Formats: sequence, C-alpha cells, structure tokens
Amino acid sequence: MPETVPAAGLAAARASGRPRLARAAPLAVALLAAMALWVAPLVLDTFAVNVLTRSMIYAVLAVTVDLLWGFAGILTFGQAAFFGIGAYATAMLLSAQGGAPHWMAAAAALAVVAPLLLGLAVGWLSFYHRSTPLYASVISLVVPIVVTQGIYSGGERTGSSSGLVGFDVLPLEIEGFFRLAAILLVVVTLAAWILVRSDAGRLLVALRDNEARCAYLGLNPRRLQIGLTAVLAGVAGLAGFVFANASGVVAPENAGFLFGTELVIWVALGGRGTLVGPVLGTIAIDYLAANLSGDLPFLWQLLLGTAFVAIIILLPGGLAELARRAVSVLPLGRRAAAPRLAARPARAAPRNEAPLLSVEGLAKSYGSLTVLESIDLTVRAGELVSLVGPNGAGKTTLMRCLSDGTEPFRGSVAVAGTATAGLTPNRIVALGVGRKFQVASVFESLSVAECLRLARAAHEAPSPLRRADILGLPQPVLDILRMTGLDALMAEPARLLSHGQKQALELAMVMALEPRIILLDEPTAGLTKAERTTIGTVLKGLAADLGIAVVLVEHDLDFVREISSRIVVLHQGRLVLDGTVEEVVGSALVRTIYAGGAHA
Amino acid sequence: MLLLLDILTTAAILFVVAIGLLAVFGVLKIINFAHGAWLTIGAYCAVVTGKLGLNPWAALPIAFVVGAALGGLAEYVIIRPLYRRPLDAILATWGLGIVVGQLITLAFGRDVQLTPNLLSGTVEILGTGYSAYRLVALVAALVIGAVFALVIERTRLGLSARAVIMNETLARSLGLDTARVRLVVFMIGAGLAALAGVLLTPLTSVDPTMGVGWLIGAFMLVMVADTSFLALAAACLVFGAAQVLVSTFVSPVLGSIAVAVLAALVLRISPKGFSRA
Repeated sequence: MPETVPAAGLAAARASGRPRLARAAPLAVALLAAMALWVAPLVLDTFAVNVLTRSMIYAVLAVTVDLLWGFAGILTFGQAAFFGIGAYATAMLLSAQGGAPHWMAAAAALAVVAPLLLGLAVGWLSFYHRSTPLYASVISLVVPIVVTQGIYSGGERTGSSSGLVGFDVLPLEIEGFFRLAAILLVVVTLAAWILVRSDAGRLLVALRDNEARCAYLGLNPRRLQIGLTAVLAGVAGLAGFVFANASGVVAPENAGFLFGTELVIWVALGGRGTLVGPVLGTIAIDYLAANLSGDLPFLWQLLLGTAFVAIIILLPGGLAELARRAVSVLPLGRRAAAPRLAARPARAAPRNEAPLLSVEGLAKSYGSLTVLESIDLTVRAGELVSLVGPNGAGKTTLMRCLSDGTEPFRGSVAVAGTATAGLTPNRIVALGVGRKFQVASVFESLSVAECLRLARAAHEAPSPLRRADILGLPQPVLDILRMTGLDALMAEPARLLSHGQKQALELAMVMALEPRIILLDEPTAGLTKAERTTIGTVLKGLAADLGIAVVLVEHDLDFVREISSRIVVLHQGRLVLDGTVEEVVGSALVRTIYAGGAHA
Repeated sequence: MLLLLDILTTAAILFVVAIGLLAVFGVLKIINFAHGAWLTIGAYCAVVTGKLGLNPWAALPIAFVVGAALGGLAEYVIIRPLYRRPLDAILATWGLGIVVGQLITLAFGRDVQLTPNLLSGTVEILGTGYSAYRLVALVAALVIGAVFALVIERTRLGLSARAVIMNETLARSLGLDTARVRLVVFMIGAGLAALAGVLLTPLTSVDPTMGVGWLIGAFMLVMVADTSFLALAAACLVFGAAQVLVSTFVSPVLGSIAVAVLAALVLRISPKGFSRA
C-alpha cells in the first residue's frame, strides 16, 4: 500500500512526526533534570546542598507566581501567604501530634487544603465582574499582611514572632531533602510546562490579553481566575510543607509581604512568561544571595534592587528575553505548525417563528442624561436588522444592554424567551448571542488558529495536556476564513494581522460559537470596498441559509440598503422608525434626521 | 474625649502620610511604591538636621526640597519610561524603594536613629495630659490639606493637574505640557512624602525600613479615595477611627491591619471607594 499513499498524506505524516518529538521534549528534559539533581548532592558540599534545597523550593513558588503573573496577567504578592500557611500548618500539626507517618500525611494534606481554601476565598474577593487587575494586586498585598499578623497574634500555637522550631520532620538526611525539593520542582515545572504548551494553557494568555473577549466567547473569566488562584495556592502550600520539613523552622517572614515581593522580583529578573527563566533566576539569585549576603549584605540588596529596576524598565522579558534574543540570532527559527482545519457538523438549530430577541420598554440613563428611552424591538430567526442613526443616537449603548445583563437599565430584554437581566456576558453568550465589537477584539499574542480554538472552548473544553492537531470548526466559519484568506494565515499571531483581517477573525470567532443571534457593531468600519462586499455576502448568507438573526449597527447606508431585511432608526435615544428597507429609505423623517434638521 | 482626640490625630497622621501618594496616583495614574522610601528620606533629613545642630523645625523645608529634588530625578529616570505600564511602575518603584533603603543603610547604618524633639510635653485637656505633638500633627494635617486645596483650586498648576486627571489625552491635545505637569506633581508628591517623614519622627523609630509599614496603609487609603483628596480625608477619618477603636477595644494587632482589611472590603463592595459619595 505504501505506493498508493498520496503526496499530501506523506507530507502530513512527516509534519506530524516532529510535533510528536516536540511533545516528548518536556518529559525528556524533566527526566534529565531529575537525574542530574539526584546525583548532585554527591558532588556538592553541605552548604551548597542546604542552600540549593531552599532555592529549589523557592523556585517552585516562582513557577506559581509566573503562571499567575507572566501567563495569566495577575500580578500577585500573595503566594508568600499561601506558602507560609502551608509551612505553618505543617509545623503546627507536627508540633502538636509528632511525626508519625499518618500525621505526616495529614500534615501534607492540610498544607495543601488550607491554602487552597484560602485561595478560593481570596480569588472570590479578587475577581468579580468588572474587577480591575489593580484590585487583585491590592488584595494579594493585603493577604500576606493579614496572615503575618495572624501568626504574630497566635501566641503559643504559632510561636508568635520567633516562629516554630523543634517539631518532628520527615526522617531524611540533607541529601534526602535536597532530592525531595528537586523532585517537587521538576514535577511542578513539568506540569506547568505541559499546561502552558497545551490548548488550555492558551486560555491563560487569553485572559491576560483580553478578559472581555473571553467573557464574550462564553467563558467565565472569574471562574478561571479563581480556580487558578486556588490551585496555585495549594501548590504553594505543598512547597511550604517541604520547606517546613527541610528547614525544621518556620517564621513569620516566610508568609510576609516582603517575601511576596521577593518572589515577584525573582520572576521578573528571570523572565516572566517563560518557565525556565523564573526557575533558573530564582535558584541563581537565592544561591548568590546566600553566598554574598554574608559578606556584603547591603551591597547585595542594592545590586539586586538596581538590577530589578533596570530589568523592569529596559527588559520587561527578563534575562530569559536576553537569552531568547541571543538564540534567535542562530538560524534555528522554528514555528509551531498550525492545526489542520476540519468541518464539524453544524448543530441543528430549531427554526421557529418565535422571536429570538425581544426588547420591551428598554431605557437607560447616566444620571440625568437619558441615552435610551422606551425601545421596543423584536428580531426573529433569519432576519438581518440594521440599526442606523446619527452619532450619539444610542446604538452602541443598545448593543451593550443587549449583550450584558449587568448593565443597569430599565425594561426587559429576552433572548429566546429567557430574560437577561442580571446575567453576565458569558451567560448571555450561552443563550446563543455572539457579539462583535466596534474595535476588533481578538487575542493579540495568540495565533489565528489559537484564537479560533478558544472561540470553541465553551463547547469543547481544550485539553490541558496537549495541542490538538485538528481544529474542528463549523462550516460557516471555514467559509469566512476562506473568503477572507485567513485560512492561509492560521499560524500568524493575531497582532500582525491587518485591520480588515482582524475584523474578519473576530467575526469568525463569534461565528465559531454557533450563535443564534449575532450583534455586530460597525463591522465594516475602516474596511476597503472589497472587504465590505465580502463581509456583506457572508452576513447575508448567515441570515438566509442558517437562519441566524443578525443585528448590526452601521453608518454606511448603501451597505445597509444592500444587505438588510429590516432597518431600525434610532434618534436621540428613541426608536423612531422600524420597517423594511423601502419604507425607511423612502421616509422623509430619515432624510431630515441625517440632514440634521430633526431636533423635535 | 481622649478617644476622639486619638481618632482625630490618627486620621491626621494617616492623611499627612497618604496625601503625597494621592497626588501622584491622581495625576500620573501610577502607584508610587517608593513612597515609603521617601518617608524614610524625610526622616533622615531630620536626623541630619539634628546632627548639624540646626533648629529641628528647619528639617521640614529641607526635607521637602530634598524629597522633591530626588523625586524629580526618579520621575525622569524611572517613572517616565513606564508611563504606559502601570503594573510595572509599581514594581519599578518598589525596586527603587529597596535601592533607597540600602543606600540609606550604607550611609547611616541599619540602627535606629535619634532625632531632636520637635515638641515635647503634654497639654492639659479636660483634666488629662495629652501629647502636645499629636496635636501639632493635627494642625499640620489641616495646614497641608488647606494648602493642597488652595493649590488645586486656585493655581494654574492645580488647574493643569485637574485637567490631566480628567482627560490626559484631551489636555495634551489642547497644548498642555502634560509631561511637565507629571514631573512637577511627582516632585510635589515626593516632597510631601519627605515632609511627612519629618513629621513622623517623634512618633516612630527612625530606621532604614521605617517607610514600609506606613506604605501599605497609605496605599490602601489612596485606593479607597481614588483621586479625590476630600475622599482621602473622609477615608482617613473612618479608617483611622476603625484602627483606634479596634486597637483599643479588641487587640492592637488587629488594629494594625484594620485599615488594610476594611479598605479591601470597601473596594470589593464599591470599586470607586469613597470618591463616589
């Protein structure tokens, strides 16, 4: 049979050979690192073994800070608190109960669970609809302060300011603790590495890039951020367990805000958004600190502080960025292959005549300024409704009220019979509403294929372990990609696309949700004539062939006349006309509004 | 009555410490984590003034000038490049704080320094003695607040600063030299921090890390106050009261974190904090 294999098949086989090799790379590197670290205590002196044990535990924390900050964009000082709680939980339980194996196991479990629960609470406090990144950082500052004060006021049980010593620890020699820390570091780094390379890992970057877009793809950013915070709090707690055992002493500083800032400094110097940078950076800096700070304590801190400021200003990618630049000079340029596109069967949409979208008496005002007033509107499947009106008529505000139920407005909006009041955007997306923004909202640091994969994430959870070779998309999305030429740019980062291509990508992402209604805010703004025609054809096809209800805001009346099945005119917050293209275009009222005479 | 005085004077001290941070946050929209270091610089200005044998009160203008000058340098070298990366600006200013702390340690050692008393003794109020200096701090806060309000409301700089706070892009397109406004405001903020550092010397021990403890409280107050200095005054009163009451009736440890915890909760409930009220 080999001779009958078509050329394309051969090429595919060759192409898939390399990803498989690449997929095994993390495991191979981890195995090598683990073996090297296993024998390392045999050649290192006692001082080095002791210091490096601590450094590797800190490196585990650095990985968690890096996942939160470097990948998911959440600047946190709070990992120190979770680490401290893990360490204190261990020390307190072992002081009280002794180090029998079952109590040791209980201590390990407690060291994970206690920070995890606190992480959930902190996550809930930090992330809510419309919370800001700054607020999350503020909370992450408060947590270690509160935890430290709690330790100070704990009296006998926490040892107050002198900490706890003399509790039973795991029966290991210093080499044993070194290996334990090494295994923890290798396992955590490997897991993080696999995660950030996987499809689910792209979700973290998407959160950092554009949280709003995540919500409007039907993903719940809050749940993701809270989950990430809680899980990584648990990991930090586990590191605390190993630390308490290895050092035999815990102190309030281990949970403090200053230690939290140190973690951030190490990650920044090593290179946020890479894993190898923070790991090596932390180990190198902590090891150097142990060696130098004895002789030159203040000078060392001074140098570290200066280097930190310089790196933040001049080299935000840290030392890893420097290394990457050096490597990229070599002709090793390797680009991740884009997944193969495949059509997936369309979801059979029940087509009936009940209105998909019904708006009754919608009104919105900012203080005394009324933006929308008594808007009534019904949109059925297969309709293509254009909202027109001069600037300031309230068109974009109306779109916002339709897609975000937490917007304060009066009146009611229902999607397929379900009222949307109080629903966050992601829950409205789940009802079948897709929204395209006026300024194309995509994930700038992700490739076209990754953006589209995330658009499907609400339907098919992306794998946290690997990158899928096939990207299954509904047929209309493939059509959009083909018509706009995006199908040839699947591996291209979205930030390198042209304005028109970004608009098309966003439309494709919205369509990948398989919505029943799409809301489009000026989809043709800034596009060329040819691009406009393409978008118009696509939209008409969506409405006519798939029965999707399309609502769009548009200024270009020629474009509107060509594609709409109905036109709605907004003027000064009121709906003044709702009719067929002929009715509206022929209306004297519209002419006066656009001529600027109708301030009645 | 004593409790009330404690609340008022605590609020006054918080206000004095936080006002410089507020000015910087309002106009530059960045959080100056080196604020604590500038408090320390101010306190060491008082130390140096004492060593030179000058009148202790001379430390106030000296600290303001030194703080403002160093602040100008910091704005130019560190803040300016990070204008569009506010979270990175937090980190860079924190790093700057470390550098300043270590430089002070290298110059003066890490030991606690003694400063000449600005004013000692007690004042008889309703039959009990009350620290005279705390009353001075109250007056100082009122004076600083009043001058600050005058500058904001009545001067050209205040007008420019308000324009930048409201809409920086528009201000720039109207021909306002926003970079200069930012520089001047940062210098004033840094100068006020150093001034606050001098005012703190009788109340707290002076050592190279003294600023950090004050930084977090000031930071939380500014977060709650957003950009309004009246809201800052209100926040200082409310949280100062909470701190005094919790310290007195529950425990001093809880009192020390009352400001941070309450501010975090207020922000969770009302993200704009006190400025909306």
